[in-house]
Amino acid sequence: MAPMIVFWIAVGVISAAVAGLILRRAARAAAGGGDADSTLPLYQRQLSEIEDLAERGLIAADERRSAHAEAARRLLSAADSAGPAWTISATSRPVLVGLAIVAPVAALGLYLAFGSPGYSDRPYAQRLDQWRAAPPTQLDAPQMAAVLRSVTAERPGDPEPFRFLAIAEMASGDAPAAARALREALRLAPDRADLWESLGEALMVAAEGEVTPQAAAAFQRALEQDPTATTARFHLARALIEAGEVEAGLTQWRALLADLPASDPRRPVLQAAIADVAAGPRPPAAPAAGAVGAPEIAAMVEGLAARLAAEPDDPEGWVRLVRSYSVLGDTARRDAALTQAKARYADNPQILRELAQAAEAEPMR
Amino acid sequence: MIVEIGAFALILSLVLSVLQTGASALARLRRGPVLAAVGEGAAIAAFFTLAVSFAALIYAFVVSDFSVANVAANSHSAKPLLYRVGGAWGSHEGSMLMWCLALTGFGALLAGYGRGLTAGLKAVAVATQGALGIAFLAYTVFASNPFWRLTDPPVEGRSLNPLLQDPALILHPPFLYVGYVGLSVVFSLAIAALVEGRADAAWARWVRPWTLAAWSGLTIGITLGAFWAYYELGWGGWWFWDPVENASFMPWLIATALLHSAVVTERRGALPGWTIFLALGGYTFSMLGAFLVRSGVLTSVHAFAVDPTRGVLLLTILGVTAGLGFALFAWRAPAMARGGMFAPISRESALVLNNILLAAATATVLLGTLYPLIREAIAGEAISVGPPYFNLTFTPLMFILLLLLPAGPLLAWKRADAGAALQRLWVAALLAAVAAVATLALAEPRSLFGAAGLALGVWLIVGSATEVAERIRLFRAPRGEVLRRLGGLPRGTWGMTLAHAGLGVFVLGAVFETTWKAETAEVLALGQRLDVAGYVVVLENVAPVRGPNYEAEQATLRAFAPNGTLACMARPERRLYSAGGQTTSEVAICTRGLSHLYVVLGERRTGADGEPVWLVTGYWNPWALLIFLGPGLMALGGVVSLSDRRLRLAAGRRATPALPAGPEPTPKPVGEPA
Repeated sequence: MAPMIVFWIAVGVISAAVAGLILRRAARAAAGGGDADSTLPLYQRQLSEIEDLAERGLIAADERRSAHAEAARRLLSAADSAGPAWTISATSRPVLVGLAIVAPVAALGLYLAFGSPGYSDRPYAQRLDQWRAAPPTQLDAPQMAAVLRSVTAERPGDPEPFRFLAIAEMASGDAPAAARALREALRLAPDRADLWESLGEALMVAAEGEVTPQAAAAFQRALEQDPTATTARFHLARALIEAGEVEAGLTQWRALLADLPASDPRRPVLQAAIADVAAGPRPPAAPAAGAVGAPEIAAMVEGLAARLAAEPDDPEGWVRLVRSYSVLGDTARRDAALTQAKARYADNPQILRELAQAAEAEPMR
Repeated sequence: MIVEIGAFALILSLVLSVLQTGASALARLRRGPVLAAVGEGAAIAAFFTLAVSFAALIYAFVVSDFSVANVAANSHSAKPLLYRVGGAWGSHEGSMLMWCLALTGFGALLAGYGRGLTAGLKAVAVATQGALGIAFLAYTVFASNPFWRLTDPPVEGRSLNPLLQDPALILHPPFLYVGYVGLSVVFSLAIAALVEGRADAAWARWVRPWTLAAWSGLTIGITLGAFWAYYELGWGGWWFWDPVENASFMPWLIATALLHSAVVTERRGALPGWTIFLALGGYTFSMLGAFLVRSGVLTSVHAFAVDPTRGVLLLTILGVTAGLGFALFAWRAPAMARGGMFAPISRESALVLNNILLAAATATVLLGTLYPLIREAIAGEAISVGPPYFNLTFTPLMFILLLLLPAGPLLAWKRADAGAALQRLWVAALLAAVAAVATLALAEPRSLFGAAGLALGVWLIVGSATEVAERIRLFRAPRGEVLRRLGGLPRGTWGMTLAHAGLGVFVLGAVFETTWKAETAEVLALGQRLDVAGYVVVLENVAPVRGPNYEAEQATLRAFAPNGTLACMARPERRLYSAGGQTTSEVAICTRGLSHLYVVLGERRTGADGEPVWLVTGYWNPWALLIFLGPGLMALGGVVSLSDRRLRLAAGRRATPALPAGPEPTPKPVGEPA
C-alpha cells in the first residue's frame, strides 16, 4: 500500500508546486504594473554606449556621428511603432486559481485514462530477491538462470553454481551464456570431463548443431580427462561424418556402441543413427541431430501437456502444444489438444486463429 | 511508484504546454500582462515537470525496471551504469522525451529570460513555443510513451545496441538536441515577428544568442557523431555523407547562414524577411532531421529505430508546423519594413553572398539526401547518393565561400573598399601560396587538390588572424595601444575569429587526411607484420578479455615508427556482446603528433597451417586530429561569442580606410560562416 501513498503524495506536491509557480508569476505581474515597451531602453543603451566609446577615443568623430544618427533613427522608429502599452486588465483571482488548478486535474484525468495507475516499480534487484526467496520449482528457466547468476557472483570460487547456471541458461535457450558459465566452471575445475563435455555441447548448440573447432577442442579435452565420455565421442564422430570421412566416423560410432552397456537408453538412438548413415547418401547431419534431439523434444512436449492438464488456463501454452504436435507429426494428439483448446477459448477469436495456424505447422519430416 | 510519477509528470507537462499556448495567445489578444505571466509560468512548470519525468525514466534504466517496456527493449542488468543512464536516450521513446525536455527547457528560458523582448513579441513567441511543445509531447504521450508498462516483465532486457554503448554517443544526442531544438526558439521568435509585423534590430538581437547556442550545440553534436563514427565503426573514415549525417548538417548550414544574416538585420536593420525565412527554415530542417532519423525511412547505419506509423506522425508534425510557419511568412513578410541600404561592395553584401552560398549548399545536401528516397518511392529502385555527388556540388560551393571568407570581416558596413581589404590580406595570401608550393614540392604523392586545400586552410587561419591584427593595429601602433585595443576587443570578435580559424584548422585536417591517408590490410598470424605508411605493426599476441557485458579478443600489436623506434602498443579488440549477439570492433588509435595510426582487428580465421590468423587493417590518417579540433574551436568560438552579453548595437563604423581603423566597438556578431 505504501507505494501508492508515495505516488499520491508526489502527485500532490508536483501539482501544488506547478500551481504555486503559475500563481506567483501572475501575482508578480499584477503587482508589477504593465511592462512598457522594453525595446526603447535597448536603443537608449546603445546610444549611451556609442557616446561612451567616443569619449574613450575608440571611434572616430564622423563614425560616431553616423552611428549616433542611425541608432537615434531606430530609437524614434521603435517609439513610433510601439503600440499602446499593455495594461493590467482585471483577470479575476478565481479565474487564475482555476487555471492553475485545472492543469493538474486534467493531467490526472488523462493519466488515469491512459497510464498504468497503481503499477509499482519493479527494480531488477528486488525481483531477483523475490526469485531467490521463492521455491526453485516455481521459477522458469530464465528466472532460475538469473538467481544462479547472482549465486555465482557470491561464490566465484565454486564451480557447481556455474554448472547449474549453464543448465539453466541452456534451458532458457541461451547457449552462448551457458558456454560462458561453463568456461568459468572449468577455470575452477579444469579436470572435469563432464564440464568439458557440456561446454562442447553448449558451443555446438550455439553454432546451430555444427561441431565448431572450439566445440571439438572441448570434446577432446573431455576425452583426455575421461576416455569413455559418451557424448564427446558421439559428436566427434558425427563431426567426422559431416566432414565427409563417413567410414572413420562410422567406425568410431560402432566402437562407441560396443562400449555402451546393453541397458543404456542411448543405444537405440545410436543404432538408428548408424543404420541411417550406413544406408546411404542422405545428408547425415539431419538424422543424427534428429535421432539425438527427438526424444528430448518429445519429453518437453509431454511436460507441456502435463502442465496444461494441471493448469489449463494458459492460451500461449495450448498454442505451443498444438504446434509441437503438428511439428512432431502426431496428428491424433494434435487434434485432441486442438479440440480441447478450441472449446476452452471459443469466445476468443485471436486465440482460435493462432490455434488454427499452429495446427497447420509443417511436420519435421 | 517512481515510474508512474514520471508518467503522470509527462502528461502534466503536455497539459501545461496547452495552458502555456492558450494563456499566452489570449494575453496577446487582450493585451493582458497577468495572462502572459500565466503563460510564462506554465512554460517554466512544463519544463520542471518534464525534468521530473526524465529523471524517473533514468531511474527506471538505472535500476533495470524491465516492467517498463522501453527499458526492457533497450537495457540489460549487466550493462555498466553509464550506459544504463545513456540508455534513457538511446531508444526512440527516450530520445523523443529528451527532445521534449529540450523543447520545454528552451521554452522556460524564453519565458524566464526574455525580458528585453516587447510584451507582444514575447507572448506570441511563448505561445508558439508551447504549440511546438504540444505537438511533440502529444506524440510522446500517445504514440511513443517511454513509460508504457509490461504486465509480464521479462527476466532480462534486450540491451542497447552495443555500437551505441560508447561515451561519445552518450553525449552526442544531448548536444545535438540542444542544437536541433534550440532552433525552435528562433522559429517561435520568427512567428512572433511575423504576427507583430516587426523584425527590427532589437528582434534580431534576440535571435542571435539562441541561434548561437543552437549552432554551438549542433557543432559539438555533429563533431561527436563524426568522432564516434571514426573510432567506433572501424572504417577509418569520419564522414560518409550518410543521410542521417546530412540530416544534422542541414540545420547546421541554415543556422550558420542565420547567424550571419541576423548580424545584418541587427546592425543595419536590413534583410528582415530573409532572416525570418532562415529562422523558420532552421527548425524545419531540425524536424526533417528528426523525421529522417526517427522514422526509419532511411536504411543506414544510423537507422536504428524503424517504425512507419510513428514516421507518418512525425511527418505530419513537420508538415503542419512548417506549413503554417511558411504560410504565415507568405502572408505577412511582404508587408515588413525594409531596412538600411548598402552598396554592392560592403559588409552587408559579403554576408548576403555568404548566405546565398550557404543556402545553395544546403539545397545540394537536401537534394542528395532526399533524391534517393523519392526515387525509391516512385521508381521502386534503391540508389545511393554518395561522396562523388557531394564532391562535385557541395565542395566547389564551399571552396568559393571559404576563399572569400577572410575578406568579409575586413569590409566596412554600408560601403567598403574591396581593394583595401584585399591589400590587408597580403600576408595571408603569401603564406597560403608558400603552403601550396611547399606541399606540391614535398608531399608524396603529389596532389593539386591537396595543395589547394592546404593553401585554403592557411588562408583561412591567417586571414582570420589578420582581422584581429588589423583591429589592434599590430605592428603599427605603440605596444601600449595595441594591448589596450586587444583588451578592448569584444568577445564577439574573439568568437568570430576562433570560429573562422577553427574552420581553417578543419580544412587543413580534412584535406590532408583525405588526400594522403594510407591503408593496408593483411591476414596476420602471431609474430607477423603489416606495413602502413612507413610504420611497421607486429601482431604480438591475441588474448581473450572480458568486459562487464561482453567478451572480446584483444590483440596486442607493437607499432614501430619509420625511424625504427617503438611508436606505441596498439590494443584493438573484437567484442561479442552476448545480450544481443552483436559483434563490434574496438579500434586502437595511436596519436602521433596530429596524425593517427589506426588499427582494426578482424575476425579470427584458421590459416593454411591450422594456426589461427587475424585480418588486421592499419590506416595512417595524417592530421586526423585537426578534423575534430577545428570544429571544437568553432564551437568554442560560439560559446565565447555567447558570453558577450553586452547589448551593443552601433551602426556605421570605420568609414574609410584613411581613418584610424578603430577597434570595432560592437560585438561583431558571431560566428562562423563556413
